[in-house]
Amino acid sequence: MSAEILKVSGLATSYGKIEALKGVDLRVESGKVTCLLGPNGAGKTTLMMTIAGILQARRGSILLEGKQLVGLSPANIVTQGVALVPENRLVFPQMSVRENLLAGAYQRNDKVGIAGDIERMYTRFPRLRERSEQLAGTLSGGEQQMLAVARALMSRPRLLLMDEPSLGLAPMVVADIFRIISELNRDGTSIFLVEQNAHMALQVAHHFYLMEQGKVTFDGTPGELAEDEVIQRAYLGTSRRSDP
Amino acid sequence: MDDHVVSVLSNIGVISFVALSAYLLLLTGEISFGQQAFFGIGAYAAAIATAMWGWPLAAGLMLGALAGASSALLVGLPTLRLHGLYFAVATLAFAEMIRILLELFHYQVAVDGELVGPNGTDGFGGIRYVFQNKIGAFEYMLLIYTLLATALAGLWLLERSRLGVAFRMIGGDETLAKTSGIAITRHRMIAAALAGALAGIGGGLYAHLTTYIEPRIFDIMLGVHALAYGLIGGLGTALGPLLGVLIDIGLLGSTRLFSGYRMIVFGGLVAVLLIFRPRGLLNEEMVHRIGSFWRRVWPTDPSQKSHGKT
Amino acid sequence: MKKTAMLSAAAFIGINLVFPAAAAQNIRAKADVVCEPTKENLTYDCKIKLVDARTNAPLTGVTLTVGADMPSMPGVHNLRSVIAQAQGDPGNYRAILELEMTGVWALRLDITGATRDRVVKVLRFGDD
Repeated sequence: MSAEILKVSGLATSYGKIEALKGVDLRVESGKVTCLLGPNGAGKTTLMMTIAGILQARRGSILLEGKQLVGLSPANIVTQGVALVPENRLVFPQMSVRENLLAGAYQRNDKVGIAGDIERMYTRFPRLRERSEQLAGTLSGGEQQMLAVARALMSRPRLLLMDEPSLGLAPMVVADIFRIISELNRDGTSIFLVEQNAHMALQVAHHFYLMEQGKVTFDGTPGELAEDEVIQRAYLGTSRRSDP
Repeated sequence: MDDHVVSVLSNIGVISFVALSAYLLLLTGEISFGQQAFFGIGAYAAAIATAMWGWPLAAGLMLGALAGASSALLVGLPTLRLHGLYFAVATLAFAEMIRILLELFHYQVAVDGELVGPNGTDGFGGIRYVFQNKIGAFEYMLLIYTLLATALAGLWLLERSRLGVAFRMIGGDETLAKTSGIAITRHRMIAAALAGALAGIGGGLYAHLTTYIEPRIFDIMLGVHALAYGLIGGLGTALGPLLGVLIDIGLLGSTRLFSGYRMIVFGGLVAVLLIFRPRGLLNEEMVHRIGSFWRRVWPTDPSQKSHGKT
Repeated sequence: MKKTAMLSAAAFIGINLVFPAAAAQNIRAKADVVCEPTKENLTYDCKIKLVDARTNAPLTGVTLTVGADMPSMPGVHNLRSVIAQAQGDPGNYRAILELEMTGVWALRLDITGATRDRVVKVLRFGDD
């Protein structure tokens, strides 16, 4: 097995008295795409928010290449090299595309490097170059998701957390997003992805976890995932299996 | 210039400070119903300094700004962790508390054979610095606008600074600002202190403009208006709240057009705008469009075209 | 931020240069005001007596203008000020005020001419 960039163990997070994560253990391999499946309310977003430091863990540990992230501020975690693309393709609607990218690099102060990275984002996402001076709120859903990803990349993360990047997007745009995910991964970024669209995820992810009611209930390779009866029914649709 | 015009313009200038104060907090996404308290604190502090302690006006105004900023910080400590409605209610409660404390505040000294100073509900009259120093109404208006221009220039610089970008990020989306690595509470404290200072200066100017202040001046009406000015005029630029003041005081308050019905027209205007244009007339989109138009008419060096963080 | 600080400092120095502290004291005015309703709605007939606060001598030879503000909404009710008419008795003036609504008003008595001063009197208008 290759080296792990992220190791989560015994992680518990609560909203008041409701425990959303009840001792989660998982690992994200360095240079790979790891995908987390699970029904709504399973605690996937809570896990992402806890890793990013926006929610406080009650118990457990989150190690980024051996360094403890629990207790660090969100700002500090960004500096450590973790960036989150939150769900619902969050962007700053009242700021221009360019300003959104600058916002993503808020923690950095190497002007030249930032300018170079903006240029790189424009090359990777040509639509963003065209829309550079437009307000982000006026972009289409797909363009906003591209911007959300580009914004997160502006902090030069080693680990990119993506929370349901395909949610509510047209199939063609979803395909685009997944193409970008595999490109980013090929360029060396480790990715931890929350996804409901298991079909698409199967094409890019190297490892899968399934989470239900705040606990990890499946842990395996894409091959093992495709073999699992329960997951078949819930996430891939039974029709696939019955087709010879 | 006609005395009436000078008086109206002076009022517009002074009230603009409270509007800017509320605007600054709106930028960071906080709705405060309590900025009138800092206006009041600034007014009392500046007036006490000049009328009772014999300080020069500039020092009095500085004290007003300082009092506004430090009390805003003090209130901010417990309240700035609250969100939305909770913060709005907390600021309102604080402002009412200050108003009632001012009603109980008696501190008078004999100046030239006459008692001067805050006298509870009977107010604080005889703030005559402007008259003793033979400053004309027109000159005083110039002073108000000089300071207002300074404040606007400061805000203009701020909005183009790293700090200003952070304020807009927090106002745009708090979670996203957090994920971009912004310390939310610390930035909100800075915004609150600056907003308190702005309101404090406005209060100091007001006290010396009218020579008379009383707790009733700083009740919720002023706070609601301060908030409404930004919402009407727009949150895209610091000129937005000024436009709001201009519409209200200049158009509704100073012409006999609506006389006694001003509040009804004003309230209706706020409601209509909140429905159809929730971020005001000069919203970000409008400012953005004016900006692009400007760049097309007066093309500048392309390297200067990039704005935001510089 | 540094620029903002410099701007404030410049403003501070500027104000001190233009408006230095404490100058010669002028005559300080004191006033008594009584306003009676008239037949016109919201129109009031105000009788004002001006004296020198130090000597209690009637204040004559000045121009008196009367304006009004509502303390409950500062700066907004910009009524046009009216010039008060000097009456036969020295120091006595009369002004007709047209208010926008009943309630508490702060009358602004502005004295110009031989001396310049302002006296504010808070009165309740209307019978509630």
